[in-house]
Amino acid sequence: MLESALIKLDFPLFSSHPDLVYLDSAATSQKPQVVLNALLDFYTHSNANVHRGIYELSEVASGLYEQARARVARFLGATSAQEIVFTSGTTAALNLVAYSYGSQVLHEGDEILVADFEHHSSLLPWQRVAAQTGAVLRMVTSDDNGQIALDVWKNSITAATKVVVVAHASNVLGTITDIRSLADLVHRVGAVLVVDGAQAAPHLAVDVHTLDCDFYAMSAHKMLGPMGVGALYTKSALLEKMVPYQVGGGMIEEVTATTATFATGPAKFEAGTPPVAEAIAWVAALDYLEAVGLEAIRQHEVALSEFLLAELQTIKGLRILGPKQASQRTGLVSVAVEGVHAHDLADYLSREQIAVRAGFHCAMPLHHNQHCGATLRASYYLYNDKQDLVRFIDQLHKAINYYG
Amino acid sequence: MDNIYSSDLMEIYKDPSFKGTLSAATNRVDGHNPFCGDQVHLDLMIVDGVIQDARWQGDMCFVSSIGAEFLLEAVIGKHVEAVQTFDQRQLLDLMGLNLSTSRIACATLTLKALHEALDEYQKANNG
Repeated sequence: MLESALIKLDFPLFSSHPDLVYLDSAATSQKPQVVLNALLDFYTHSNANVHRGIYELSEVASGLYEQARARVARFLGATSAQEIVFTSGTTAALNLVAYSYGSQVLHEGDEILVADFEHHSSLLPWQRVAAQTGAVLRMVTSDDNGQIALDVWKNSITAATKVVVVAHASNVLGTITDIRSLADLVHRVGAVLVVDGAQAAPHLAVDVHTLDCDFYAMSAHKMLGPMGVGALYTKSALLEKMVPYQVGGGMIEEVTATTATFATGPAKFEAGTPPVAEAIAWVAALDYLEAVGLEAIRQHEVALSEFLLAELQTIKGLRILGPKQASQRTGLVSVAVEGVHAHDLADYLSREQIAVRAGFHCAMPLHHNQHCGATLRASYYLYNDKQDLVRFIDQLHKAINYYG
Repeated sequence: MDNIYSSDLMEIYKDPSFKGTLSAATNRVDGHNPFCGDQVHLDLMIVDGVIQDARWQGDMCFVSSIGAEFLLEAVIGKHVEAVQTFDQRQLLDLMGLNLSTSRIACATLTLKALHEALDEYQKANNG
């Protein structure tokens, strides 16, 4: 296990709220001091717009921004920084794929396959593209264990399949998808695999080369970085086929009164002033994560999940969504308690300084397929320890008794 | 913390007076809270512009249930036009709970459904 008590000291929010048990890292993580420093440093010493000025400060800012791109590429195991487009986050990255790639290549009768545990931001862009192009959107249903077996994918993928969309890790079930095996199936019919990595990149060592996915989207703010920046990894051969989602400054080659040609590479998809300070501060977050070690973080979370799952299984009338084995999920557990509404539980816990999420977690079709209403989700990270979970379980017992 | 809500409210939650359906309902409406998926089904019996009786049905959270109970208690026997101006603030005052923004949507779920039903009633009877 990690020394979470020491790690917590690096996160100033925990000094401001010493009694807080923060179990909502799947919504957003807390930020270490080094990330806050990086934001302040940029605005104090290097602030200028990027790729515009010839003066020194602008070149410094541009250099730092491009270094951040290279750092994200290295974190993901991408071949080149040119495969990384900065976006405002995962939602923007997934919309970018759907519009810039999907709407270009899809035609009537083509199929888009989407896992039923997708976050709305990974489903709605494809609903729209399907409506626009005449492609058919089909949902692949997870089993009672919250998983989609490879055989189910195999039977769902047909010659008409052009795009397959899946979360590397589900934000409700915690289920980890075997991306490499799925990518092999997808590529066999010449389709592309779009991966929502928002819940996986903060918790698992990701190597897009090994995964062999075509697109990988993620957000900085769920992995200790600032809000407002994220990235889309795209295999370079596909990047060339894509049209810009937004047009404007910073992404052009030449503009006349009536026409424009666009820059090549990631710049083509980054119209307007990008989140420069945030991208640079994200580097500090990635450095921090790698210094602790993604493997060590993973082991820590699996140990916490084992403890939590065992405790939860003793609570009568409580249903755990997703895989029962800690090794098959990321650091989160969602539950439904018979006869007690998740909002009421979250409300009770909130009064005890325990921050958890209640609701549909932006995954309504999944809750429908799993036959449950709103669920209560506890999600944890490197700064959480067993003591946090003990407090959560103690108060959960009390909350259930209170309403039950 | 043993008592986040008063025991009076807890009694209402566990033994609601207006939960159920009305076989003689003149107006029926469903309300939906997209944040949590809670649904309320509201039955109204309106005679000559007066809400003679009302019942709510649904698997809802504590705050939604209490909101429905206080609302129906307040509006049964009242004239439709008077109830149409009964607003969120009045309901929250009756409930007397200090609610966060996200939970105000719970408290007012049945109120929104009621307003929708009354608008329909007015349209049908004045149009």
